[in-house]
Amino acid sequence: MLEALVYGAFAALFSGTVLPLLYRSKNARKASFGLSFISSILLLGFAGTILYTGKGAQFPAISFLPGLDFTLGVDRLSAGFVLLIAAVVPGVSIYSLEYTEHAKSEAGKDLQAALTNLFILAMLLVVLAGNMVVFLIFWEIMSLSSLLLVLHDYSSEENKKAGFFYFVMTNLSTAFLFLGFISLFRLTGSAELGQLGPVEPGTLTLPFLCLFTGFGIKAGLVPFHKWLPYAHPAAPSGVSALMSGVMLKVAVYGFLRFLLAVSSPELWWGILVLTAGSLSALFGVIYALKESDIKRLLAYSSIENIGIIFIGIGLYIIFEAEGLPALALMSLTGACFHAFNHALFKSLLFLCAGSVVHATGTRNIEAFGGLVKSMPVTSAFFLIGSVSIAALPPANGFAGELLLYQAFFQASALNDPLLTVLLVIALSGFALAGALAAALFVKLFGITCLALPRSEESRLAKEVPKLMLIGAAVPAAFCILAGLFSKQLLSLAGLDVEYPDLLLLGLLLGLIYAALFLAVRAKEKSEKEKRPARTSETWGCGAPTLTPSMEYSSAGFSEPLVMIFKSIYRTRIVHRPKYFDGQESLLKNGNVEIRLLRFFEEYLYIPPALAIENISKRVSRLQNGKLDSYLLYAFLAVITLILVTGVLI
Amino acid sequence: MNTSFLLFALLNPAFALLAASLYMALIRKVKAQAQGRKGPGLFQAYYDLRKLMHKEVIYSPVSSGIMRFTPYLNLAALLVCSLFVPLVFVPEPAGGFGNVIVFLYLLALERFFTALCGLDAGSAFGGMGSSRSMSLAAVIEPTMVVAFAALAFVLKSLNLHEMFALTAGSLLPVSPTLVLVSISLFIILIVETGRLPVDNPATHLELTMINEAMVLEQSGKNLALLELAHALKQLLLMGVLINTILPVGLSTEANAGKIAVSALSFLLKAGALAVVIGLFESSLAKMRLFRLPAFYMMAFFFSALTILIEVFA
Repeated sequence: MLEALVYGAFAALFSGTVLPLLYRSKNARKASFGLSFISSILLLGFAGTILYTGKGAQFPAISFLPGLDFTLGVDRLSAGFVLLIAAVVPGVSIYSLEYTEHAKSEAGKDLQAALTNLFILAMLLVVLAGNMVVFLIFWEIMSLSSLLLVLHDYSSEENKKAGFFYFVMTNLSTAFLFLGFISLFRLTGSAELGQLGPVEPGTLTLPFLCLFTGFGIKAGLVPFHKWLPYAHPAAPSGVSALMSGVMLKVAVYGFLRFLLAVSSPELWWGILVLTAGSLSALFGVIYALKESDIKRLLAYSSIENIGIIFIGIGLYIIFEAEGLPALALMSLTGACFHAFNHALFKSLLFLCAGSVVHATGTRNIEAFGGLVKSMPVTSAFFLIGSVSIAALPPANGFAGELLLYQAFFQASALNDPLLTVLLVIALSGFALAGALAAALFVKLFGITCLALPRSEESRLAKEVPKLMLIGAAVPAAFCILAGLFSKQLLSLAGLDVEYPDLLLLGLLLGLIYAALFLAVRAKEKSEKEKRPARTSETWGCGAPTLTPSMEYSSAGFSEPLVMIFKSIYRTRIVHRPKYFDGQESLLKNGNVEIRLLRFFEEYLYIPPALAIENISKRVSRLQNGKLDSYLLYAFLAVITLILVTGVLI
Repeated sequence: MNTSFLLFALLNPAFALLAASLYMALIRKVKAQAQGRKGPGLFQAYYDLRKLMHKEVIYSPVSSGIMRFTPYLNLAALLVCSLFVPLVFVPEPAGGFGNVIVFLYLLALERFFTALCGLDAGSAFGGMGSSRSMSLAAVIEPTMVVAFAALAFVLKSLNLHEMFALTAGSLLPVSPTLVLVSISLFIILIVETGRLPVDNPATHLELTMINEAMVLEQSGKNLALLELAHALKQLLLMGVLINTILPVGLSTEANAGKIAVSALSFLLKAGALAVVIGLFESSLAKMRLFRLPAFYMMAFFFSALTILIEVFA
């Protein structure tokens, strides 16, 4: 029965991929997104049942090469991530029904529909993969299908660069994964993903480092994060929601799969993961504050949230290594639950951002404003997403972070005082990142939706079509429900951790709110002289009318924080004078540029890229187009081969 | 839920709501006296609230629903908060409705929506207030969390009721490290309620305002609710500080006599604290905005020191 659900979902997604390519019509695209919607419903049932019963399943293996089985399996961890995929897909597919139709070319629309289905299918199969080979095959399909989606509008130079950047980074990630899996295979002799055989302690260093780097690149950990702010804005909004909401979590899943297979993770792994997570959380949000492109800002915020998830994983390893299973479980639950919640609110925010960009035609926050008047429904969803991501109770963003805070606050249970101090440092970073995120989303929501429109485009903006609204409504509803019922959800999934009841809190808030509201209304009614609320202009500092230029801008809003963290942003001033004479004494003209130093790009990415380019240039001299020299190479190669094998054997 | 907790849930918020405005006025009075003025009476804040409740609300045509629902939401959030800080007596812990982290994030909820209000009317002052308030809140947040983590470390619980059940009734702080945390808590109290040297609650010069700038566009009944929420926040943070450093008088039993003693002793202790705050404000000038992180670091240092001592002792 359960298997039927999964196979049904596979079939739906596969036909969703093929249909629009075969029939190339509007109806085929509609059917395609309809099929991905159906698949997600099937998957919800499947993953929900497995989480509830706690019984995993192994699907019959298909042997397609001798000694190499195509195995799929599911346990509670993978069921959790299947649930995550299934929770994001319905909203995205309804949204894309309408959104895709606004793409430039017919072929582009067909491709978007087909590739979106393929992308979802690949992510699903990565999560269900039973052995390393299946995992890697679908990992690559996942990367390539998302790459093509990033390049959907390949005419623009910016998107080409984004696509290329993404291509390089994702291949780098795969290379590290190959290395990690191969070294694991050599140690254990088994390609199964579920459980590692017994290994000698200390031998897992190489696989751990490779897999951490590989999955870290794909998840967007600092310093491997730069591809995210390029790739996310380039992709269509539905796909950005899938990439940020789901694909990054697939990388988290891969890393967790490895960690849980290892019977005893080492302490230093935890410290490394915790440090990387804290740095990602902080750098992600600090860079996001300075950003004025709405989708890029959301991409940076994803880096922050991935950081939070890795903080949870780091805590899990530390507590596990120190023999505190209850706290380890709490941290792991927190990390997974935050991954789930982030998938929901980030897909919601990307869909809202897509609607806003669709309505105004720009991604620049400084041009928005006043959308709450012209796009009330989208703004309401946007507010729900912002409240969630700012981790305000009782929305779902708070639920996962609450678990992590609880784990942090009990750090005194650790026996090692130095470790406790480390955790307190990480805790203050975690708290800082959380509060900065709140500031970030006050800015984003406040500047985008409130006050007066700052440009003609946003003054003329119209509410988006119904299907796009319904698409955003699905994750919005999930955000509220997953927050309110977080305790119930966790206990249904069999995760027995100490956790306050947010439903009770939400009810209390609602009841008191209603009581206050009614009390004030009753007071108004009982007054002898009725004084109804009236409207009057905001004071424009003496100017006859209030104009948008008097409002706070996005850059203005974040200026105090930019000042406080100026050592991190590293602004650099470059003078470029031009002179009349060679002695540089008579100034002709010139310019001065104040710019943000892109630290990671300039110090970490570009030097190796230049080095590779240099080496390639030298190597390319070998390729001189003369047949005789090629024959010489072949001859030399054969000789070397004979010598080497002769010496080795 | 036990009966002791239900009684607490009725009495504590009501008590907090009634007493909150008293200390707004008292601090104002102390500051006036320090400046050689007579100052308003102790019930002035209540008169102000009554006056505002009689006035109509004025909305800017630019503003949205945010401005309309935030006053109610903020007061509701603070009333829920008042269930976390025991003032009249410490009830038997009722599991499951929240812990210290929920308390902190309910305060964050109030801050978030107040800041959105500041942006809602499109006025430059409101935006300035929101921007500064959220920036400073971000910088104080690590301190706040670490201070409360230090409390949790020392008192071995995540639940504020359990923590204060441990301190309740003792004359001196139960652990010397609590004195260190109290310094942090005092600074947090100053910062969170927008007092000198961080913000000036009495200012009418727009450029120096932080908290007042955000509520500049509020009026009438909505302003009354926001003022009440602000006073409540101050009272609750005062409650946390008092229960930590001077828990004498606070009872864990729910009978009429004990409750009266607890409430009365709290009123007196809070009065003393209000005088201290008033004198503290009078003796300092407002700091430059970008000097503030250094001031916060002091609070952070004391909380971190508490944890260090606890860990290595």
